[in-house]
Amino acid sequence: MTLYEKIKTLYPSLELQDFIAGTGTILLQNDGKGDYIKSWNHPTETQPTQEELDNV
Amino acid sequence: MASRINADSSNGLQLVSDSSGEVQIQSNGVTVATINSSGLSMNSGTLAGNGPAFAAYQSSSQSINSGAYYKTNFQSEFFDTDDCYDTTNSRFLPTVAGYYYVSATIMSTGPTGHHNAFAVNGTIVRYGGNISNLSTYGVCNTALIYLNGSTDYVEYYTLFSGNQTINVSVPAASWFCGNLVRAA
Repeated sequence: MTLYEKIKTLYPSLELQDFIAGTGTILLQNDGKGDYIKSWNHPTETQPTQEELDNV
Repeated sequence: MASRINADSSNGLQLVSDSSGEVQIQSNGVTVATINSSGLSMNSGTLAGNGPAFAAYQSSSQSINSGAYYKTNFQSEFFDTDDCYDTTNSRFLPTVAGYYYVSATIMSTGPTGHHNAFAVNGTIVRYGGNISNLSTYGVCNTALIYLNGSTDYVEYYTLFSGNQTINVSVPAASWFCGNLVRAA
């Protein structure tokens, strides 16, 4: 399961637009060494911890 | 007033026009360029810069998972005038400070949303190409960005709305290029 899919599982209300640069508030990035959370500025949902992501 | 070529110890070499206000550059008696109060203009030929320029393409297909911006690989070069493009890291690190026009096109192997962005030093600075559900056609993005000529580098990132791979079955379908348009 990808990082995006794990986050979507934790927060089903999030949509793809929440992850699009410019319109979204969450930025997932992969520089060649795996997906990671580059920035998280969602107004209501808090950034999941690594443990929460690992448990999905 | 006569035209002068003036070199002193403080102002460097100066070409000073006569009262016409015009300086001409000639070749074999023919004026090829004119400098006046409006600036430099070419009477014949073309004035072209010689700053760094590159063009690269993806030669080995890259898989991209949905929802995340992936640094896009462009492993092969069409050209690289000043050896500023790094095929290993797929980044352009020019050695001349200035404003660079960059462009990239990505083609997917199947229908998916395309969302692309240029990043400087790993941080997205320009985004675009927000196409919700595109088939196998490419999406082209362009941007004008400043690079400091020593440490700044530009890369291209791709986000697909569904897990997809980049299409390299068509030669040079997905590419990345750039050139200096104005020195700093």
